[in-house]
Amino acid sequence: MKDERFRPYADLLLDTCVGVQPGWEVLVLGPPHARPLLEEIGAGLGRRGAYAVFQLAYGSLIGAADRSWSREASVDLISKPSKLQVHLFEKCDAIVAVDAPENTRDGLSIDADKLAAGRAAYMPSLRRLIAHEAPWVGCQYPTPALAQEAGMATDEFVEFLFGAVLLDWKAEKERMQRYADRFDAAEEVRIVGAGTDIRIGVAGRTMEVDAGGANMPGGEFFCSPVENSAEGEILFGEFPAVYAGRELTGVRLRFEGGRVAEASADTHEDFLIETIDSDEGARRLGELGIGCNPGITRYMKNTLFDEKIDGTVHVALGHGFPNLGGTNESQIHWDIVKDLRDGGRIELDGEVVQENGAWTI
Amino acid sequence: MQEGWEVLVLGPPQARPLYEAIGRSLARRGAYAVFQLSPDGGVGAVNRSWVRHAPDELVGTPSGIQAHVLAECDALIVVLAPENTRDASSVDATRYTQARGSYRHAMQRFDADEAPWVACHFPTPGLAQEAGMATDEFADFLYAACLLDWDAERERMQRYADRFDAADEVRVVGEGTDLRLGITGRPTEVDAGGTGGGVNMPGGEFFCCPLENSAEGEIVFGEFPAVYRGREVRGIRLRFEAGRVVDASAETNEDFLVETLDTDEGSRRLGELGIGCNPGITRSMGNPYFDEKIDGTVHLALGFAFPQFGGKNESSIHWDIVKDLRPRPVPGHRASPDDPGGQHNGGRIELDGTVVQESGRWLV
Repeated sequence: MKDERFRPYADLLLDTCVGVQPGWEVLVLGPPHARPLLEEIGAGLGRRGAYAVFQLAYGSLIGAADRSWSREASVDLISKPSKLQVHLFEKCDAIVAVDAPENTRDGLSIDADKLAAGRAAYMPSLRRLIAHEAPWVGCQYPTPALAQEAGMATDEFVEFLFGAVLLDWKAEKERMQRYADRFDAAEEVRIVGAGTDIRIGVAGRTMEVDAGGANMPGGEFFCSPVENSAEGEILFGEFPAVYAGRELTGVRLRFEGGRVAEASADTHEDFLIETIDSDEGARRLGELGIGCNPGITRYMKNTLFDEKIDGTVHVALGHGFPNLGGTNESQIHWDIVKDLRDGGRIELDGEVVQENGAWTI
Repeated sequence: MQEGWEVLVLGPPQARPLYEAIGRSLARRGAYAVFQLSPDGGVGAVNRSWVRHAPDELVGTPSGIQAHVLAECDALIVVLAPENTRDASSVDATRYTQARGSYRHAMQRFDADEAPWVACHFPTPGLAQEAGMATDEFADFLYAACLLDWDAERERMQRYADRFDAADEVRVVGEGTDLRLGITGRPTEVDAGGTGGGVNMPGGEFFCCPLENSAEGEIVFGEFPAVYRGREVRGIRLRFEAGRVVDASAETNEDFLVETLDTDEGSRRLGELGIGCNPGITRSMGNPYFDEKIDGTVHLALGFAFPQFGGKNESSIHWDIVKDLRPRPVPGHRASPDDPGGQHNGGRIELDGTVVQESGRWLV
């Protein structure tokens, strides 16, 4: 796929998102289908005097945990990380990870316990990146599978993607920071909508504005809420929740003292329960985020986009962000998106700040 | 392959079915498959897009994390699967050489065969086209050349190699060719799939480093073109005195031949004598990896000799050139009762005066 916009896309990733410096060794991850973008990234790193250390693989962003290998390897082996891979993760100066699935359901051929073991194995080596002590960006490349998943023709999806990423990120940052400041000043966020009335404590927690940082497209602001604060119920009835290749509709969670006390779903309920029982932290919230990307207006079945839909909120079960004061630990981090554009609202300490997805401040 | 090994897998995207099989097989053996594919294959930090644009000083300096994985992996699998065998032509060759060369230190264990590695091929349309074959035909050829009974091949080649090891002098006789090489005290290495050291797949040759000042006589490489650094040289004729090329000519690209011979002190001496034995390879592919294994051929390499096999010649070149010793049809010949064969006689190999191979067939 030749498209002259891959060059500005690569520039955006390298400058706005990662801030590449001369001499840096940048690990470039992704599947080969993203080649036109990968080659622009290679050229862009070369021009900036940085190394492009390509580590492409077919079935995983982690070259040492490719699907072909993970299917056959024992859980025991998967649980012990490859030292070579760990070295790459720990010593690189930055990571650019290009998500370009050929089939968004490819994860299904691996047992959930193997997927979990693989993630847990590399979690410590990715600590710097998760804690944002080292820069990284995860971005999307327009494959037919992503388009199909989004219910779009591939060329239509290409236009959508560039529309969502090639924005004036400075202006977006300013706008989102205005909202974020209000959240920072508040103690409690209340989200009300269909089947939903949940209160989440944010006192002392800081909102991070994503306007071209670790995810591209960006366009959200988020924090790690106070771990034992969530009270009430939330129904994710508008969009399915997607995780590890599974699609769950009608997820309903009831929180008590910050912990999911009751969970149900219309489909894959077993998987939901299994996942929130992964570990101690999997039943608590690691994130509350507010989607603000004006280029994203419809559901794509792709968390990276969907959590940015202007007029939505999302909560993530599992791992919190230590750099934002989050203390919840878990090997999962599952973002689930709730649409507020049709009858929902957000209140801060009792004041409505957003109604039907439109800001009132 | 041992349990717990971390195996680095390098290659370009085109060879996916092979990577998936490698990933599964390593997992079954309890070893790690650390995939580091990249757009052009080879070392993941040296790719065309980057080499074209990176500043000069960076191109000659290795990336630390890349050098680490090369230096620390337990084994290396390199898959050669070019999409277009001429892709390197869009980048300044010296920059490519420099970039690859910067990892020589990290690769030293492999060059010295101290750590196991294999370089193998995957049948891409590009390789098939280079060989003048349809892709499916090339795939059949490749698998026939690789999926052999390597234990049996090893035994067979070792039998010949033992005879070479016991001999002082090899004589190669053929069309326009009568060349004597001293091999006293130089061990012969059999490449039959390899264990422990490095290996190319397909294998199917045995080779040694002849005594550096021993070559005497003349050899004509008239059957196949000799290919080096993207150039094709036809009809090479070399005359050796005391191990050194004293007279060289070619029907095409003679300037390039002479220029290459004059690269450095060692480039007019032989670094290798090899004997091709792969029964699955019967014709020239225009690819030295395959051609040097053609059953019934010998090859000589000008330049660098392998120190681990007693070779002392040093040079920055190592140019394998293949000579066919099998009988071959006379061009344009039409069989008739008077002349049913219509073939040039093949050549022969003698060891200390005993004929051991004639017209490409072993007599021992």
